[in-house]
Amino acid sequence: MAAISPQQTFNGDIFSAPLVHTDSNLLPCIEPDYKPFIPGNSLRRMTRVLKMGLTTALQCVRDSGLDTVGPIVTGTGKGSLQDTEKFIREIEQYKETALNPTPFIQSTYNSVNGLVALQLNATAYNNTFVHRGFSFETALLDSVMLLAEGASNTLTGAFEEMTAEHFYIKSRIGFWKQAPTDSRSLYEQQSPGSVAGEGAVFFSLTAAPTDKSYAAITGLKLLYKPTDEKLANTLATFAEGADLILTGRNGDSRYEHYYQQADRLNIPQLPFKHLCGEYDTAGAFGMWLGANILRSQQVPAQWFPMLEKIPATINRILLYNHFYGEQHVMIVLERV
Amino acid sequence: MAERVFITGMGMITAIGDSVAENLEQLRQQRSGLGFTSYIDTIYRQVLPVAEVKHTNESLATLAGTTPCEGLTRTTLLGMAAMKEALQQAGISDVQSAPTGFINASTVGGMCDTEKVYFDIINPEKDGTFLQYIDTLDCADCTQRIADAVGFCEHIATISTACSSSANALMFGARMIKQGMLPRVICGGTEALTRFTLNGFNSLKNVDKQFCRPFDQQRTGLNLGEGAAYLVLEGESFARANNSRILAELTGYCNTNEAFHPTSPSPDGDGAYEAMKAALAMSGRSADAVDYINVHGTATLNNDVSEGKALERLFGSKVPLFSSTKPFTGHTLAAAGAIEAIFAVLAIQNGLIFPNLNFSEKMEELNITPVTRLIEGVSVNNVISNSFGFGGNNASLVISKYEG
Repeated sequence: MAAISPQQTFNGDIFSAPLVHTDSNLLPCIEPDYKPFIPGNSLRRMTRVLKMGLTTALQCVRDSGLDTVGPIVTGTGKGSLQDTEKFIREIEQYKETALNPTPFIQSTYNSVNGLVALQLNATAYNNTFVHRGFSFETALLDSVMLLAEGASNTLTGAFEEMTAEHFYIKSRIGFWKQAPTDSRSLYEQQSPGSVAGEGAVFFSLTAAPTDKSYAAITGLKLLYKPTDEKLANTLATFAEGADLILTGRNGDSRYEHYYQQADRLNIPQLPFKHLCGEYDTAGAFGMWLGANILRSQQVPAQWFPMLEKIPATINRILLYNHFYGEQHVMIVLERV
Repeated sequence: MAERVFITGMGMITAIGDSVAENLEQLRQQRSGLGFTSYIDTIYRQVLPVAEVKHTNESLATLAGTTPCEGLTRTTLLGMAAMKEALQQAGISDVQSAPTGFINASTVGGMCDTEKVYFDIINPEKDGTFLQYIDTLDCADCTQRIADAVGFCEHIATISTACSSSANALMFGARMIKQGMLPRVICGGTEALTRFTLNGFNSLKNVDKQFCRPFDQQRTGLNLGEGAAYLVLEGESFARANNSRILAELTGYCNTNEAFHPTSPSPDGDGAYEAMKAALAMSGRSADAVDYINVHGTATLNNDVSEGKALERLFGSKVPLFSSTKPFTGHTLAAAGAIEAIFAVLAIQNGLIFPNLNFSEKMEELNITPVTRLIEGVSVNNVISNSFGFGGNNASLVISKYEG
């Protein structure tokens, strides 16, 4: 696995990394030095999300210890916003003449996948899912299907960036809290909207465990605009035997009632959005965190000042996340 | 044994017609849908031909059986129109009568409408109904609007792999059926013309000022098109129990990546070759059982060389009849794979091979030439449909005549 996020997740030990917080309603990624991963001449042309996505994918391959790369499957809700904005602006500014095609090329949602394939010379299956809070999770579903169909491994990930312009756009329709909010007290500030985030996370998935495995994915369910009853029933089923529930709680009072369904299950919970903020593919960060907890059998305590009692042994985690009340996802992770 | 996957319904709208029947008629009449735009605000209005659907958004809404309203993009309306026909043709009055998935594809989502109001959206001093378009830019908006209108509540997903997007949507749906996740999945894509994509491809010097000439020595680029198409896929056991009318079978498919260049295919067509070869192998058909290939055939300098080379490598001296239907519909990007999959079914159903319009001169790099006139009354049992895109994404489908 590898993750670039608003926390110190790319390098070093997450169990000693301090909690990074914001009071400006936006948690930006801590970007690593890209030079060890991407040649300088390519680096200059690439915008943030491309660099973050490609670098995380390459680091993930290193971390996996696998020597071959099979299918590459990703999810992104918005793709390269920076390139999209740039190209729209240039069309307007230069009155549709003498345009540089690079931002157009890079604005296509599958451009990160193409770059990863190019850099790794990966000629197998390659797909990109682009459906808000289902983007990463559909990529995960596809990967599970590929492994069942005989692929030996997949490189599966998600990436999302926030730009100043997009932050403003989404503020106009209530995505973020109106008052500047300290991300450390996100869950105590029940009001409409959340705190924006971004991130890139990649996983190497195999059909059989290896000595490098962090966790096993043993359940996955995507529910589109479920009724309260359907959500409650599915949560109860998926929570069976879970020692911990990781929730995508984000302090948005309009959709908090969905997360409250999980409260009735009487299983210890940890929310993770104060770490990564809210974005389409935040579920990938949640899964990365859950897999880390399962392998190390500890929770990065400094990241959870609100820490309640954590079970001594964690064998099974249910991750429950939804995106603005529409796409609901449950992922069951187990210790290997 | 995995389920066979059948096509049991189809719906489409393109520049050559509002329905499958109208598209077939125009293909038979060899009438192109290319012309100049009525709806895009561009300096290339009279310069760059496009294949535009001949309806205003209001008229599309009527066709789709909905009322036009702010926030409903042209991408969504095109999709709704095609979806309505696909459901009708498959005899589905209620998608919830059986668990039914919806796998949609798009390359720029609601850009067609957001690009018109984008600078108002980012201007704090402006306010108005245009704000209803704020959240329509991404590709999920059209999927969810269509899903909500129709009532899809099982699995929904959106794929964006450039020009291979809806071919990948069909593949993903077929795999879900084979893995026993769903008995029925509706797959396809929707794409509206935008100033964004027109300028994008034009900045790459990929757009022809004349009507495009696929596989022609004098080709100088593509023409963009718009449209939407959906195919109803059903697993064999469901289709039989449901007594569905089976139009054709999706017998093979493959998705590969070229890993060659962000926007260009390799000169020898490695990705196209691998995709066609593996799709054919999955179908269990031999190379000489292929009667027709609906090539990707964008008419760009690079695509046609590499796709042609791939055909010659795979089929040797016996390359099947092939043509590009892009001079009819334009290059409809995310919708192309589904539109052309329907053309493959039409070829099988009607014993037709469609002409590659505007061809006059063989390419110097190739020994093969496309079909240039309509061929009727032939037996078409297996068709390969190719869709290749930016990012090295290649997809090939094998569509076969249904035989018991």
